Amino acid sequence: MAPSQMSYAPTLGKLLKSLNTQPLEASIEALVYLLKRRQVKGDDIANATAHMLLQVVAKSKWQNVDQLLAKVSNTGLRLAQAAPTEQVIGNVVRRVMGLIRDEASEDRNADEMGDSVSDLSQLPTTPTMPSRPGPTPLRAATLPMSKSMFNLLCVTETVQSPTTGASTPMSQGASANLHALRSEVIDGIEEIMDEISQADDQIAGFADIQIHPGDYVLAYLPSPTVERFLIKAAAKRRFTVFLASAERVKPGEVPHAALRKKLNGLGVNTISIASNGLMAYMPRVNKVVIGAKAVYANGGVSTESGCSIAARAAREYSKPVIVLSGVYKFCPADPSDDVTEFEQGDSSTFVDYADGEAVDALEVENIVHEYLPPQYVDVYLTNLGPQTRDHLATIMADHYKFEDMGLSLHLP
Amino acid sequence: MATETTGAPARAPAPQEKGKQQSKPAPAKETPVTGGATAGEQKLTPAQLKAKAKAEKAARRAKAKEVQAAAPAAAAADAKGGKGGKGGKQEGGQSAGSQQQGKSVPGRRPSVGGRRPSMAAVIKEDPRSSIPECFSHVPMAKRIQTSQAHKDVHPAVLAVGQQMATFALKDSIARLEATLLAFKKVIESYETPKGNSLSRHFVPHVLNPQIEYLTECRPMSFSMGNAIRFLKSQVNKFDIDTPEDEAKETLLEFIDIFINERITLAEVVISKNAAELIDEEDVVLTYGRHRLVEKTILRAKANGKKFAVSIIDDPYDQGGKELAKTLQQAGIRVFYSPNLGGLRAHLERASNVLLGTEAIFANGSLLAPAGTADVAMAASAANVKVVALCETINFDRERVSVDSLTYNEIDPERCSAESFRLMFDNTHSKYITGVITEFESGTDFAPAQAILTLLRKREDPTIA
Repeated sequence: MAPSQMSYAPTLGKLLKSLNTQPLEASIEALVYLLKRRQVKGDDIANATAHMLLQVVAKSKWQNVDQLLAKVSNTGLRLAQAAPTEQVIGNVVRRVMGLIRDEASEDRNADEMGDSVSDLSQLPTTPTMPSRPGPTPLRAATLPMSKSMFNLLCVTETVQSPTTGASTPMSQGASANLHALRSEVIDGIEEIMDEISQADDQIAGFADIQIHPGDYVLAYLPSPTVERFLIKAAAKRRFTVFLASAERVKPGEVPHAALRKKLNGLGVNTISIASNGLMAYMPRVNKVVIGAKAVYANGGVSTESGCSIAARAAREYSKPVIVLSGVYKFCPADPSDDVTEFEQGDSSTFVDYADGEAVDALEVENIVHEYLPPQYVDVYLTNLGPQTRDHLATIMADHYKFEDMGLSLHLP
Repeated sequence: MATETTGAPARAPAPQEKGKQQSKPAPAKETPVTGGATAGEQKLTPAQLKAKAKAEKAARRAKAKEVQAAAPAAAAADAKGGKGGKGGKQEGGQSAGSQQQGKSVPGRRPSVGGRRPSMAAVIKEDPRSSIPECFSHVPMAKRIQTSQAHKDVHPAVLAVGQQMATFALKDSIARLEATLLAFKKVIESYETPKGNSLSRHFVPHVLNPQIEYLTECRPMSFSMGNAIRFLKSQVNKFDIDTPEDEAKETLLEFIDIFINERITLAEVVISKNAAELIDEEDVVLTYGRHRLVEKTILRAKANGKKFAVSIIDDPYDQGGKELAKTLQQAGIRVFYSPNLGGLRAHLERASNVLLGTEAIFANGSLLAPAGTADVAMAASAANVKVVALCETINFDRERVSVDSLTYNEIDPERCSAESFRLMFDNTHSKYITGVITEFESGTDFAPAQAILTLLRKREDPTIA
């Protein structure tokens, strides 16, 4: 049932529905392919990552916390490699790993069983336990989640990684402990998923503080977060929205039609700017709202391509730039050199393949992501309220474990 | 003036009559600017009378001008009458003029909505009404059907106007050249009416209607404004007795020289100077397509330099695509970026930026296709030198612009809230490393302000 579903036009929605019925490995593969094809975009990525890690925690075999951490980071690595520009995958992985560490240390303290579970706080993410080779036993009794026949058969496949080979029989206490840990971690991941899904609404809750009556607000390529923010503001304020994008819109097609309709319905004027440069409009604009894909530790923002044009123009006219970003998009890493490596997108929207001469002649570079340096951002509006650049580090320290901050999900 | 007085049409002739009877000493006494107010004043000192007469004369002139502009919709005979009246006035035939206007006012009044002829008004109001209010001050090109144009508009000018309105003639120099060539046709077919001289009659009665028509089709480019000023001052230089043929000959020659010097040779000189800026292994970045930039790059290539070009295009215009093809055919390596996204990345490998401009203001800022300012700003932030190429005819010596909403145009195809687009933007001079014009030599950069001073001294002492 599942394979036929997957082979036919896979989407994230279908994948998430089939998570419970599919074997773990197949689900991960499916998500990897969706990511590689860039069929999962924007805020869905965080959600999908969290779902997948939840499956990893629930379904995969692990005997101790280190194995679990390794499994989570392995899965994270595969997802991150499928979409190297999406920092948010790494963020969710770090969050989940931090969660596991928290829960594990709580358990240990509670039970005072310091030596049966490895000493977590001092261990690196790769397990120091010697791997115990041997036939892989199907310990269904201690793994309540893997009950389906398919999973039982699949286990051999997931055992490829050396860290999963552990098969030391555990004391009854430790096994119960693991069981409790599993369910606590699952609860924790569900909380993270809730946080991700509620972030947009929480951010939108600050809309009427930021947007004032009579404002002209420029939204460059409004993301769902920005859309919700504007709609929430529209419920309370009368203002004008400039919607801009660098995408070429076909004649007769109205850009952002749904958003415009909603805003207009609430009595807010919208003007779609069909322009590349935005300097011309900046004297009119009061503030610029940009949706972030990720926020780095230094305050730099990963955005849709073109946002830095808007931000730069705003800086020229001293207009505030508000970046909307859920805390889960905060990436504890500093932007490395690879942020300047831009990702190229589909060129056919700009140069038609029918134009043979152009196809031959042009090296088309349609850049889809862009790095916005921190000096162009005035406010980071998060689900925890507005923040300035100086406090980003504090927030990140609150949300990520020190051990996970340096986690690298990219191959050297 | 007809539009300024708020009195009903029926009332209009009454004060006229009164005025005529009252003020015998002053010539020209008809529809006063002050409308009903004049009715009250019976006793006036001679000085006051004189002043009043002067004001009225000015008002009448203004009206006659308006009539000319508004005439397309009005009946041909009517317009002719109005013009005849105006022409007669110079000989001192006030009565004819006043009668004419007295007659024409009630007739025209209902049709004159605002200052525009009715039919044109219908067409005009339509697209403009959808412009968002905050941009309603910005002018926009519009198509005027040839049948609605003023009857005095020369066919050659008519064609040019249409081409401008449809953006077939787009950049400022192309428009300037077409305009001047059309004006040559106008001059060739001009015959001074009896009792007039070319130096007095040509500009107000023949040239101005052409200019007004062109302005209505699309706001004049600054180069056109400059050229027309030169042309008018040339006409004014003629003595009143200059024979018509001689004057016409001089004018035609003037235009030829003007086109040759300010357009043809300027292009050659600028591209030659700018080409020297391109070095071996450079990556030249440019925005959109501009004739001068294209000529410069091709010339540098012809000079045997080996370099690459990075073209940033405007997805709503796509001129850069054509440029990319042309350059590719010339054997130049071209990187093409369809929009401003990732501009920083493109600038990292660029060694210099060449920008074409539409005009340069007196404060040194550029009027250039929308997006140029963003490119210039990003380039200057990345420490890449930014060179603007511009003919001196595009320099405006009187206007100053600090933001893009002061002087701009709305794209007539994108003028509603669904899709709105300004055609130009304003690049502050601090982002420009240098401007290359036909007047400075070699690779010396001259900031725009310095060039303005130079121009003032050099060619137009009367204006400086």
